[in-house]
Amino acid sequence: MLPATAVALAVLAALLAWPVPALLARARWPVRDPLVALVCWQAVGLAGGLSMVGALLVHGLAPWGHSLPEAAWAVVRGHPATDPVRGDHWVALTLAGVLAFQLVGVLVLSWVRIARTRRRHRELLELVVQPGPQADARLLDHPAPVAFCIPGARPLLVLSSGMVAELDEDQLAAVVAHERAHLAEHHHLLLLPFVAWKAALPVLPAAERAHASVRELVEMRADDVALASLPGATPRRTLAEAIVAAAGGSGGVPSGALAVSGAGVRARVVRLLEPADPLPPAARWSALAAAVLLLLIPTALLLLPAL
Amino acid sequence: MASLGELERAVMERLWAAEGPVAATELRDQLADRGVALTTVHTVLTRLEQKGFVRHDDARPRRFSARASREDHAAELMHEVLGQAADRQAVLARFVGSVNDDEARMLRELLAGGPTG
Repeated sequence: MLPATAVALAVLAALLAWPVPALLARARWPVRDPLVALVCWQAVGLAGGLSMVGALLVHGLAPWGHSLPEAAWAVVRGHPATDPVRGDHWVALTLAGVLAFQLVGVLVLSWVRIARTRRRHRELLELVVQPGPQADARLLDHPAPVAFCIPGARPLLVLSSGMVAELDEDQLAAVVAHERAHLAEHHHLLLLPFVAWKAALPVLPAAERAHASVRELVEMRADDVALASLPGATPRRTLAEAIVAAAGGSGGVPSGALAVSGAGVRARVVRLLEPADPLPPAARWSALAAAVLLLLIPTALLLLPAL
Repeated sequence: MASLGELERAVMERLWAAEGPVAATELRDQLADRGVALTTVHTVLTRLEQKGFVRHDDARPRRFSARASREDHAAELMHEVLGQAADRQAVLARFVGSVNDDEARMLRELLAGGPTG
């Protein structure tokens, strides 16, 4: 007998593996409130992993008890199964282990690999950069207009000399404010699970979609935060001008990553120039409540007695 | 006393400025205004060697030189930054990704309020 809990978790996992990410990626409201959308994406990712592993675990452990805690406790104590253990129980348990190991393992691996690359970049940068025009920004001598930051314990915010030459003072301040927002809100941590998820489940189209959406939303969120700190009458226009100048000026760039960023950059400029109304509070709270619910459902299914 | 990172920079500056390989004692003399001991110079040089920025020859005493010029390092870094694949955004957050010429033209039109087709 398949416990209803396992079935419910499997249904949830299936929903979160395809229709939900597809809907969220296609929805129009995230552009109006990137922060709430980012919270929703985190919930989708976490609940997805939890329900996938949970469904297999609940089914696999069913012979040992009527709920996951009860069954797990029985296994830990070395009690024999109360119902006969069939082959499909072992298969489910094995799959649960492999999947959990894969998800966590890839997350750790991504983290290590990213940290190593960052350290290498930081070492190189510390040798070649000079103090920049802004207190916390460093200047890198290169004609292409580029700005970036390297997150971590010792974050580094870098402007190329090409960028400084291309932009006026207000636009430069907008760029620095945008990068500061990435660092202050630790956007790299929001992105990491989706980088890992994409690497762990390459067959899942939703993983790719989720990663692209989160990447875009993080940029929009940083734009929003930057706007709040910018002086001048038209900060939106200033930031849009900076984006267009930086996007168009780096000729002779390897073509691999180009197509990916085009649509995203365009969406950023459009929403700066023609801002949509902010999400009404009711919609905002509904979305946040949905995110919390999304996490509570698999947690409750896992911990409450099996139906 | 200056931090190791600062000293690494100072040593690299001297190596880049030097005509040829430089001995550790010469570096210490050049950094005399910082009051750096010879052991510290060696520590810094070892760290720089581990990072792959410096190499030494087999002469006695050893003489040290930079593996690549400052411009080469900057170019290597920019190559990675500009050419980064989509998932490299997790390594560093770049202000704007590069777009192709058509996209760039469309963006400028968007800014000018022109046709957005």
